[in-house]
Amino acid sequence: MQNITIPQLISKYEKIPGGLMPLLHAIQDELGYIPNDVVPNIALGLNLSRAEVHGVITYYHFFRTTPPGKHVIQVCRAEACQACGAEELLSVLESSLNCKRNQTRYDEKITLEAVYCLGLCATSPAVQIDNKLYANVTTEKLKDLFGELEINP
Amino acid sequence: MNVTQIFISCDSAAVALGADVIVEKINAESKSRGIDVKVNRNSTRGMFWLEPLVEVQTSSGRVAYGPIQSADVSDLFDCGFLEGHSHIKYLGLTEQIPYLAKQQRLTFSRMGVTKPLSILDYKSHGGFLGLKKALQNGSEFILKELLDSGLRGRGGAAFPAGVKWKTVQQTEGEQKFVVCNADEGDSGTYSDRMTMEGDPYMLIEGMVIAGLAVHATRGYIYIRSEYLQAITVMQKALQLATESGFLGENILDSGKSFFIEIRKAAGSYVCGEETAMLESIEGKRGVVRAKPPLPAIRGLFGCPTVINNVITLASVPLIIANGADYYKNFGMGRSKGTLPFQLAGNVKYAGLVETAFGLSLRQLIYDFGGGSRSGRPIKAVQVGGPLGAYIPESQWDAPLEYETYAAMGAVLGHGGIVVHDDTVDMSKMARYAMEFCSIESCGKCTPCRIGSTRGVEVIDRIINNQERDQQIELLRDLCNTMVNGSLCAMGSMTPYPVLSALNHYSADFTSD
Amino acid sequence: MLNHIKHDIDHGTPKRESAEEVSLTIDGYKVHVPKGTSIMRAAMDAGIKVPKLCATDTIEPFGSCRLCLVEIDGRKGFPASCTTPVESDMVVRTQTDSLQQLRKGVMELYISDHPLDCLTCSANGNCELQDMAGVTGLRNVRYGVGAQAGAHHCDAKKDESNPYFTYDPSKCIVCNRCVRACEETQGTFALTISGRGFESRVSPGQDQPFMDSECVSCGACVEACPTATLQEKSIISLGQPEHSLITTCAYCGVGCGFKAEMKGNTVVRMVPWKEGKANEGHSCVKGRFAWGYATHQDRIKTPMIRESISDPWQQVS
Repeated sequence: MQNITIPQLISKYEKIPGGLMPLLHAIQDELGYIPNDVVPNIALGLNLSRAEVHGVITYYHFFRTTPPGKHVIQVCRAEACQACGAEELLSVLESSLNCKRNQTRYDEKITLEAVYCLGLCATSPAVQIDNKLYANVTTEKLKDLFGELEINP
Repeated sequence: MNVTQIFISCDSAAVALGADVIVEKINAESKSRGIDVKVNRNSTRGMFWLEPLVEVQTSSGRVAYGPIQSADVSDLFDCGFLEGHSHIKYLGLTEQIPYLAKQQRLTFSRMGVTKPLSILDYKSHGGFLGLKKALQNGSEFILKELLDSGLRGRGGAAFPAGVKWKTVQQTEGEQKFVVCNADEGDSGTYSDRMTMEGDPYMLIEGMVIAGLAVHATRGYIYIRSEYLQAITVMQKALQLATESGFLGENILDSGKSFFIEIRKAAGSYVCGEETAMLESIEGKRGVVRAKPPLPAIRGLFGCPTVINNVITLASVPLIIANGADYYKNFGMGRSKGTLPFQLAGNVKYAGLVETAFGLSLRQLIYDFGGGSRSGRPIKAVQVGGPLGAYIPESQWDAPLEYETYAAMGAVLGHGGIVVHDDTVDMSKMARYAMEFCSIESCGKCTPCRIGSTRGVEVIDRIINNQERDQQIELLRDLCNTMVNGSLCAMGSMTPYPVLSALNHYSADFTSD
Repeated sequence: MLNHIKHDIDHGTPKRESAEEVSLTIDGYKVHVPKGTSIMRAAMDAGIKVPKLCATDTIEPFGSCRLCLVEIDGRKGFPASCTTPVESDMVVRTQTDSLQQLRKGVMELYISDHPLDCLTCSANGNCELQDMAGVTGLRNVRYGVGAQAGAHHCDAKKDESNPYFTYDPSKCIVCNRCVRACEETQGTFALTISGRGFESRVSPGQDQPFMDSECVSCGACVEACPTATLQEKSIISLGQPEHSLITTCAYCGVGCGFKAEMKGNTVVRMVPWKEGKANEGHSCVKGRFAWGYATHQDRIKTPMIRESISDPWQQVS
């Protein structure tokens, strides 16, 4: 059940200067992604063209146009995390989770993503799972966590 | 009866290391022992290798223990940590921990001391003094203090903040804006995050003062989407500051108003570039604008706009409260005041080190950082984020200040220091720099849009020893095109890490 | 009388009006232009063509191609002449060794992601990219071209959905001229760039075929395109014109000026005339593309009259 409908969200943001970005965030917060078929409604509501809305959605990597897996695992691979083994960590995850980076696994249980800086550079490598941050991450630590989340393949 | 006060950080790095679990554990343990304690969630001291850090208020000051694991908690009680007694994790009086004691914490003076959202805490530690003084003395006074302080933009470009503000003040405009750039995307940096999560009123105060100085009544804080906690805390702080009269309509009965709105970014490094950020706030693709016009003349929604980084704005209240002379006495040359350096990556004592400009990288990574975390020799240090040069050991003694680094072909940027030990392959880091540029390029200008992708391919050929000499020459030519031809720093500075790796670690590019 | 085809002079950036005049020196020549004029346009006034791809005088400057970089005394770096306004006593150089090297470097990047089929390309002989490769003296693409280089768009699929023009993304240099023309000249906003970085592509609507987008087929994008990416189908089938005639659109009462671009007596393309007072280089779909009536067998070419509605039409003698 949705708490708030897309038209309600659109009317909430249509009068705000530069309201497209907060609206897209609100839709993604609500649905987990921004379906293609809401774009015409967004365009109509905000007095934009479909092209303009599409251009914005596809520009920003944060916005998804397809639903993510049940759990989203983000591994930071920026320099500070790389200096403490992030690349190896990501490779190990790709094989142990049977999911390539920036993909959603066949069973739609997980989406594995490489991200660029979570702001935990002093306690690297850092990982974010479903909006929860983990620092000084090791493969062992993640294994326990994955057990709890029942996301092993 | 006095309840023992315990302090544990709510900073997201501390939480990511299990601070919440320790809080629960301490509460449960004290309850089962029938001891009354109060656990306060304050900001972080920025000594992240000690997080979760547990501090206890004693008659001689706060005593620290860390890093604390859940298994340590009952032991802490047994050892009498509530009275500040010794324990294997005992660190002594927090303020006397050399890492902290050696710093010059001006902007970060409240960090780790106060509760982030407590206006009372903020006020009792010097908060809103700058605002009051600014309200009493007005625009010209603020601008003079700021210009005299020598404060330069802390986001990376190091442009004199006072000059920028003056331009906005002198530009006609029905509406003017103050935009805070909190799109802290540089790897190795977290001072903006700490500020927003830990001392949000300092940023709000700085923005209000900026508004008073340039006659702007509206402000935006553009926060990266990765910083969920910072967004939550800032949101709450805006509400509380408004309720307490420090923000919004008729601030402190002065007749002046200032409103702040938060805008959440959406995963684009280029949006840390000021004009791309403006486009993003306007609801558009975060593509860089050509300058001129400068945003100070025609910025957000076409209006004169002050754009500053979090730390720049956060430095303002202190400068106004204590005066320009106080601030400019720190630092050296044209680099006045302090910079919060952020030690990151493979370094033993990673954390925030706020000191005056002028100490050396060697002091920073050894005296503060304690060498590498892995225990292996340090090979390269990237200063200033993903667009900063790798600094080889031969340059570690140069003073950390803007002009010296510029002369070295390097940048201080936002103060991020990422340490790599000797296992790092610098050809891979050069490749990564190009790859990062290709992932983050906005795609507007040709050198960055096509050049970054070609850069990865050329470095791959170098690594794979395919026509290596010709490809190295091609890489240098490409870097020249990117440095001199790109529209913004993304394309024009990506060659900094690439060329510094190639020049200082050439062996990594020629071994098979 | 036949006029051999003359391409309108492209001043690079739009005209600026100002009572204040600014004097500067470009390549040793003194130039006087209204305040607000770009260096590029000022140079053109002096007869100096600064290389360019993303700039054209019908739309606002953008600063993306980085070919029009110049050197200005007392300024560091290489500012783009299209986005930099003139200033009093500026001393500008448009040709130096460093600039030559930079422009060649940029062209080398462009061509590394562009098909090398100039001889069979519909824009052959009327392609700004080709011109710039010539002007910059590009002789070698060391990255390789297309698949040889690595990532590329040379295999991108052509969109032929629009009846009047085709969109071939493999030839696109992402100069944004079409997107900006759709916004600034036409005001339809049917085009955007989708994605970012190397993946950036011109997208009608939501990455749809042109006919499924908000496009109204005015042709402003086609006119703005410097390559064969957006190309009239008539040019694709008939080739480039060799002369042109100025005429007035026969449809409505606006009176849009057109250049009828011809080969012999055959019209190959109708292009809105930049000096047309009613339309200033823009038009709607009818005059631009729907000119098939011109050679239709039923077209009436002389005035006709009839006595009453029941009488047959007769030629006016």
